[in-house]
Amino acid sequence: MKRFPIPQGTLDMLILQIVSLEPAHGYGIAQRLEQISKAIVQVNQGSLYPALHRLEQKGWLKAEWKESETGREAKFYALTAAGRKQLAAEKHDWARLAGAVQLIFGLGDKS
Amino acid sequence: MLKQIANWFRRGKMENGLDRELRYHVERRTNDLEKSGLPAEEARRRALAEVGGISQVQEEVRDVWLSRWLRDFSYDLRFSARSFFRTPAFCVTAVLSLVLGIGATTAIYSLVDQVLLHALPVRQPERLVLINWDGDTVANGFGSWDLMSYPICRDLDKQKDFFDGVLCRAFAPVNLSTNGDSRPATAEIVSGNYFAVLGVAPALGRVIEQDDDGVANANPVAVLSYDFWQMQFGGATDVVGRKVLVNSHPLMIIGVAAPTFKGVDVGEVPAIWVPASMSSQVIPGFENLLDRRTRWMQILGRLNYGMTLEQAQAGLQPWFKAMLQEDMHLASFPVVTPERRQAFLNSTLELTAAPQGHSTLRRRLKQPLWVLLAVTAVLLGLACLNVSGLFLARGSARDREIATRLALGASPWRIGRQLLADSLLIAFVGGLLGIAVAPIAVRALVAFIPRGAAPMALHAGVDSRLLLFAFVVSVTAGLLSGLAPSWQAGRRSVAQSLRERGGTGFGGVRLRKIIVTAQIALTLTLVVGAALFLRSLDALMAKGPGFSTTSLVSFGVDSLRNGYSPADGKLLMRRIDEAIRASSITQSSAIARFAFLTGGSWNNPMTIFADKRITTDREVNMDSVTPGFFQTMGVQILAGRNFDERDMHETVGKLGPTIVNEAFVKRYLGGRNPIGLRVASGGGPDAKPEAEIVGVMSDFSYRGLREESEQAFFPFFAGEGTGGTFYVKVRGTPESFVTSLRAIVHDVDPRLAITDLRTVNEQLDRSLNTEHLLATLSSSFGTLALLLSLVGLYGVMSFVVTQRTREIGIRLALGATRWSAIWLVLRDASAMIVTGIGIGLLFVLALGRLVQAQLYDVKSFDPAAIAVTVVILCSAGLAAALIPAHRASGVSPTDALRVE
Repeated sequence: MKRFPIPQGTLDMLILQIVSLEPAHGYGIAQRLEQISKAIVQVNQGSLYPALHRLEQKGWLKAEWKESETGREAKFYALTAAGRKQLAAEKHDWARLAGAVQLIFGLGDKS
Repeated sequence: MLKQIANWFRRGKMENGLDRELRYHVERRTNDLEKSGLPAEEARRRALAEVGGISQVQEEVRDVWLSRWLRDFSYDLRFSARSFFRTPAFCVTAVLSLVLGIGATTAIYSLVDQVLLHALPVRQPERLVLINWDGDTVANGFGSWDLMSYPICRDLDKQKDFFDGVLCRAFAPVNLSTNGDSRPATAEIVSGNYFAVLGVAPALGRVIEQDDDGVANANPVAVLSYDFWQMQFGGATDVVGRKVLVNSHPLMIIGVAAPTFKGVDVGEVPAIWVPASMSSQVIPGFENLLDRRTRWMQILGRLNYGMTLEQAQAGLQPWFKAMLQEDMHLASFPVVTPERRQAFLNSTLELTAAPQGHSTLRRRLKQPLWVLLAVTAVLLGLACLNVSGLFLARGSARDREIATRLALGASPWRIGRQLLADSLLIAFVGGLLGIAVAPIAVRALVAFIPRGAAPMALHAGVDSRLLLFAFVVSVTAGLLSGLAPSWQAGRRSVAQSLRERGGTGFGGVRLRKIIVTAQIALTLTLVVGAALFLRSLDALMAKGPGFSTTSLVSFGVDSLRNGYSPADGKLLMRRIDEAIRASSITQSSAIARFAFLTGGSWNNPMTIFADKRITTDREVNMDSVTPGFFQTMGVQILAGRNFDERDMHETVGKLGPTIVNEAFVKRYLGGRNPIGLRVASGGGPDAKPEAEIVGVMSDFSYRGLREESEQAFFPFFAGEGTGGTFYVKVRGTPESFVTSLRAIVHDVDPRLAITDLRTVNEQLDRSLNTEHLLATLSSSFGTLALLLSLVGLYGVMSFVVTQRTREIGIRLALGATRWSAIWLVLRDASAMIVTGIGIGLLFVLALGRLVQAQLYDVKSFDPAAIAVTVVILCSAGLAAALIPAHRASGVSPTDALRVE
C-alpha cells in the first residue's frame, strides 16, 4: 500500500499526542508512531529528534533521564502544562480544518 | 534568542546528551531487528539507514539549539580570535585605534547625556515645561535666564485647566552654619508646591509643603539635600528638628530629600531648600518677594494629562493678555515710554519642554558639547577607516587563505561574513577597553567645565545608558570598519584569485586609496577646527581683560550674609579695607561691589541729560568701586578725575559722582567731552538727574573677555557698600599671599566667611574654560587624526611600492631616472592628499556654521587657518610617502626582475 509522507506540521502534534498518554523516550515514540499510523503515514526517524528538541525548547515537553524497560538509561519526554494547552489547541484547529474540508466535499457531492 | 545564547554556553553537555540519546535509539532498533531474525551486521546497518545518518541528525538538532546563523557566527568569531592571536601586532594596532575613537566618543557623550539629555529623577519629567516671558517684562531683576516674578508664578499655578501645578525656584549663594563654623553653600529658594509638583518624596522627615510658603518670614524651615545630610550630619536620623544657620538666621530642618534628587539644575546643586516665604533671610535685604515687577525666579509647570505644550501655550494667552492689562493699571506699575508700554503689552508666554529642568550650565555648554561630540564622531570615523585599511592590508596578506576557501566552495558572502566577524570582535574588545578608559576621560573633562559657587551634579560613572551607547557605537564601528574589507572579499572571484600569485594580489589598493583620501578629508576638517579654536583662544588671550592681572588676588566678603546690619556691614568693609592697605604685603588694593570676569554684572539702562535726553538703547554695566581701583587694576583715567575720599560718603538717593568708560562716550555722546553731564540710572521718562560724570576710564572686560560694553562706575561707600570683592595687588607672586590675606581678614572678624579667594589670573583662566576645553580637545583630536591618516597613507604607499617593484625595475632598466621613480610614488600620494583636502574643504564650509558662535575674531572659513592646515597636511603627507618613494628609487632592476 502507498505510504503518505507525513503532512507538514502534523509531526509535532502527533508527538504531543503520544507523549500525552505517558512519558516516552525517542525510540518508544518512533515505535508508537509506527503502530498508530498503521504504516499508512511514513515518518522519517531522523526527523523525530530535531522535532523533539524543538518542542522541548518551546517548553511544551520536558525531558528526564530515567531507567527504561530494558534497564538502561534513556531520555524520557513528558508533556508540560503549556504542552497540554498547545495540544488541545492543535486538536481543536485540526478538527475545524477537517470539518471544513468535509463540508466542502459534501457540497460537491450534492450538486 | 536568549535561550539560544544560553544554549551556546552549555553546548558541551547538550552534545553529550544527544549522543547518548541517539546511541540508545540505534542500539534498541538494532536489537529489535536482530530479534526479528536479521544478522547483527545487517540489523545495525538498517537501523542507521532508517535514522538517516547520525551526524545529519546531530546537525539538524544543533540547528534547533542555536539558529544556523548564530552557530556559524560563533564559529566565525572563534576563528577570528584564533587568527588574532597569531598576529598580535595587527590586533593591538586595530584595537587601540578603536579604543581611542570609542573612548573619546563615550566620554563626550557621557557629558552630553548628563548635561543636555538626562531627564530629572522626578515623577513623569516629560510633562514638565519651562514657562518664560517673551517680550518686555518692564521689571528689574537678578539671576541668570528665563526669569519671572513670584506673584506671577502664583497666578500661573491657578491655571488648573492647563497645569497640574506650577512651581518657581531661584538659586542663592548663602553662608551656611551647622556647628558654629560658617561656610559658603548653595540654597534653592522654592515655592511651597515645589516638591509636590515635581513629585519628589522625602528620604527622612517631610518636604516643604504649601503651608510653609504662606506668610512672609513665618515659617523658618529648610529641607536638606541627601548628600549634604550625609556629609554634614553623617546621615544622623535625629537631624529633623535641629537648626541650621542660613546667613546667621536659624532655620529648622524638617526633612531630607530623596537621594537621587539634586534640584532642577544639573550645574547648581543646592545643599538646602528654603521656602520662598523666607527669601529675605536667604538673600539679605531682599524685600521684593511680592513685587510683580521683580524677576528673579524660573517657573516650571507640570502639564495636565492629555494637554499638549502647544494647546497650553495657545490656551494661556487670553489669560496672560488680560493680566498684562490689569498689571499696567496697577499703581505700582513703573512709568515707562509708550514704546515700552507697547512692548510690554505685546509680550507672550512661551512654553518649552523641560524634562531636564532648567540649567544655565546647559545653556552655556550646549553648543560646545555638540561641537565636541561631532569632533569625536569624526575621530571615531577616522579610527574605523584606519581599521578598515588595516584589514584590507591583512586581507591581501591573507589572499592565499581566502582564495583556497573560495576554491573549496565558500560563497563570497560567507568570506565577507568572516571578515565582518573579525572587525566586530575587534570593535567589541575596543568598546570594552573604551568603556574602561571613558571615566578617566570624563573626570578630566569635568575639570574643564566652568563652575560657579555651587557643586555640579556631574559624575564620571558608567551607567546603563552609557553602556548602551558604547555598545551601539562599538557595533556600528565594527560594521563600518568591516564594510570595506567584506565588500572587497565579496567581489572577488575564484578565477581572479587564482590568476594572481599568492601575496601580490592587486585587490584592495583602490579601496585603500579611497579610505586614505577619506581619512585626509576628515583630518583636514579636524585640524582646521583645532586651528580655529586655537586662534580664537589666542585672540582672546592677546586682547586680555584690559586691566593688569599680575600680582592681583581677589576674594569676596558679604557682611549681610554673615549676620551684620547694613550700617555695621559698611564699617566692617572699611575696617578690612584699611587692614589690607596697612599690610606690608600690599602694593595697593580696592573693593568692587561686583566681581569681574564671572559672567555676571549689575546692569541697568541709563538716561543722559545732555543738550537733549539720551536713553541708552541697551543696558549699561555698572559697578561701584573704591578710589584705589584704578591704580590697583591699572585702568587709566583718560579724562576728568578719579574718585577720592570725599566721594566715599553716603548720598541718599543718589549714585554719587560717575566715571564712564570710553565705549560709553563713543556710543552715546559721539566722543564729545562728557565731564559735567548729569545722568540717571533707569531709562523711564520719570528718570531724574542723580549723578554727574566726573571722569572717563579706559575700556576693560567686565563680564568676560568676549564682551565689549558700556560701563558706568560709582563710588563704593556712597552706595550700599556692605559687601563686595576685594582686589589686592601684592608685592611678589600672588600665590604666597593667600594665607596672609586670610589672616588679615581673620584678625578683623574670625568668624567671617570669605569666598572665591584666588588670583585674578586664575579667574581669567576660569572665564576662558569653554575656550580652553575646545582648543585643547580639538587640537589633541586633530593631532591623533593626523597620525592616523599618516599611518594609513604610509601603509598604502608601501604596499603600492611592493606591488610595483617589477614595473619600477623595468622602468629603471629602460633608463628611467631614480627621480622619476620617486615621482611615480609621490604623484600617487599627492593625488590622494589633494583630493582629500578638496573634500575636506567642502566639509569645513558645510560645518562652519556649527562652530561660528564659539569663535572669536576669526571666521569659520579662515584663510590663515586653512592655509596652515593645508601646509601641515601636505608636508606631513609627502613626508610619509617619501619613505616608500625612497625605497622605490633604490629598486635594483636585476633584483626586481629576479623576483618573478
